[in-house]
Amino acid sequence: MSIISVDQLSKQFAYYNKEVGLKSSIRNLFKRETLYKDAVKQVSFVVEEGEMVGFLGPNGAGKTTTLKMLSGILYPTAGKVSVMGYTPWERKKEFKRQFAIVMGQKNQLWWDLPANESFHLNKTIYEVEDGVFRKTVEELSELLDVTKLMNVQVRRLSLGERMKLELIAALLHKPKVIFLDEPTIGLDIISQKKIRDFFKYYNQQHKLTVILTSHYMNDIQDLCKRTIIINDGKVAYDGDLARVNDLLNQKKIVKIKLSDVVEEGVLLRYGDMKQYELTEAVLEIDRDEVKAILKQMLDDLPIIDFTIEDLPIEDGIAILYRKGEQP
Amino acid sequence: MRKTLHRYAVIYHLFLKNSLIYMMEYRVNFMFGVLVEIGFLAIKLSYVYVVFRIGTDLNGLSPHNILLFIGTFTIMAGLYSALFFFNFNRFPELIRSGDLDIYVTKPVSLQFFTTLRMIDISFAVPNVIGGIVMVVIGWQNSGISASIGHIAGFVLFIGIGVVLTYCIFLLPQLLAFWTVRTNGINDISNGLYDFNQMPMQIYHPYIQKAGTFLLPVFLTTNYSPMVALDRLGPVEWIWGIVSPILFLIIVRLLWKLALRNYTSASS
Repeated sequence: MSIISVDQLSKQFAYYNKEVGLKSSIRNLFKRETLYKDAVKQVSFVVEEGEMVGFLGPNGAGKTTTLKMLSGILYPTAGKVSVMGYTPWERKKEFKRQFAIVMGQKNQLWWDLPANESFHLNKTIYEVEDGVFRKTVEELSELLDVTKLMNVQVRRLSLGERMKLELIAALLHKPKVIFLDEPTIGLDIISQKKIRDFFKYYNQQHKLTVILTSHYMNDIQDLCKRTIIINDGKVAYDGDLARVNDLLNQKKIVKIKLSDVVEEGVLLRYGDMKQYELTEAVLEIDRDEVKAILKQMLDDLPIIDFTIEDLPIEDGIAILYRKGEQP
Repeated sequence: MRKTLHRYAVIYHLFLKNSLIYMMEYRVNFMFGVLVEIGFLAIKLSYVYVVFRIGTDLNGLSPHNILLFIGTFTIMAGLYSALFFFNFNRFPELIRSGDLDIYVTKPVSLQFFTTLRMIDISFAVPNVIGGIVMVVIGWQNSGISASIGHIAGFVLFIGIGVVLTYCIFLLPQLLAFWTVRTNGINDISNGLYDFNQMPMQIYHPYIQKAGTFLLPVFLTTNYSPMVALDRLGPVEWIWGIVSPILFLIIVRLLWKLALRNYTSASS
């Protein structure tokens, strides 16, 4: 049974341009030309109960705006949404009691107080019973390994610790649906993994429906079978993550630093050139050939440092479009 | 209804508790807050000094009557600073930064949550104590009987004054949903409020009418001493009771309208 259904959802924002300098500021004081940006364009999809769906897309693609409409923060320009049978932007209290949103760059915990004070406030706001509250805090704090941090001022915690406590605050009322907007942004790899493991476990135990946006492919890979790729406000792909993952992983990015200048033409023999600056270069190389080609490069070139990275999501999406097909 | 009120009372109690914990965490800041307010109180006392120095009646009000007005204004300024100032000041920033996002998703009135969340006692202590002292001195020397009717009327209009102060100062903040910054209009409302430093009777009747019926700034601090001095007529009594209800409804409706304009901020 679908718990979230989104039909032709669109959002347009009004804005105005401001050129550099005082002159344009003075001009803007009297006359501003209103421009419009379509942040989300006719997005449609359905999410089943207990499903974990990954929202993937470059910066400014419309992921967060979509989540904000699904959680009732923003009114859409057009379209219909049903989350647990509610229209989010009607902001009914019953709806709010059953979902949560966590944003990696925004806090709900009181900055100068220990987290447990904020938990008590949430307990009262969501009318969580004493026994349930105690049990939930105990369970979640043990799972996330933050039991000792409950009485520490939030501002004194590390980013990772803070995010774990933010998650507890968001899950205290046992929501049926949670929207996670970049929950691991800025965290180190170990903290990212801990949070992913936690959600994997929590989803199995509580059948929580999750929509997750992230820049980190690992977040989506670990948690979501299904992914929705949003690009330029539109759904570019909706389906099995494994297939899109294959496409995104067909290429690798190899960054090299050289001790001496090597001509661009020489480097082009090893792969597609993405960037060249005399002693530094970025090459795109087929995944299957990376090992062999890199070995060759190390033998041939005066390389002093190198890294191998995944293709940026933006480039992966461009490949999808170049192929002119839905993967 | 009773359950809802009880729930909101408990949440407000937690706001107060959290604010106190916050204040005690920054005790030096708290002490400086108190000191600054004592400074402002001293400035208000200079008005009292001038009034007593001149020693003449103003529109039938003796210096001790005027002390009653200034004392009430001082109490109200303390209550405004403690209950609303910090929240209202911070409100446009919540909109500008998009921090309002999380609050919107809470199953509690957003207006309640954002406009009453912080309580800063440091602002209230000197003003409320100083104001009460002035009121007691003015009351006694004006020969007002300490009857239940007088005291209840005085306290009732302090309560009404708090409600109206909330409405009058929140109204310009709502513009932030459209304009994001509201400093300009805030200065106007603060300026209007300062008209209350002296009894409304000293102003031109047109200003009195505008400040009573159009934007009832005078009601916030003038009606309490007027009740004590038996200077409140039936029309003023009715308007005094009706206006806070009316303005609460106006603020609520505008709040709902303004919230539709919330565009959040980029993440």
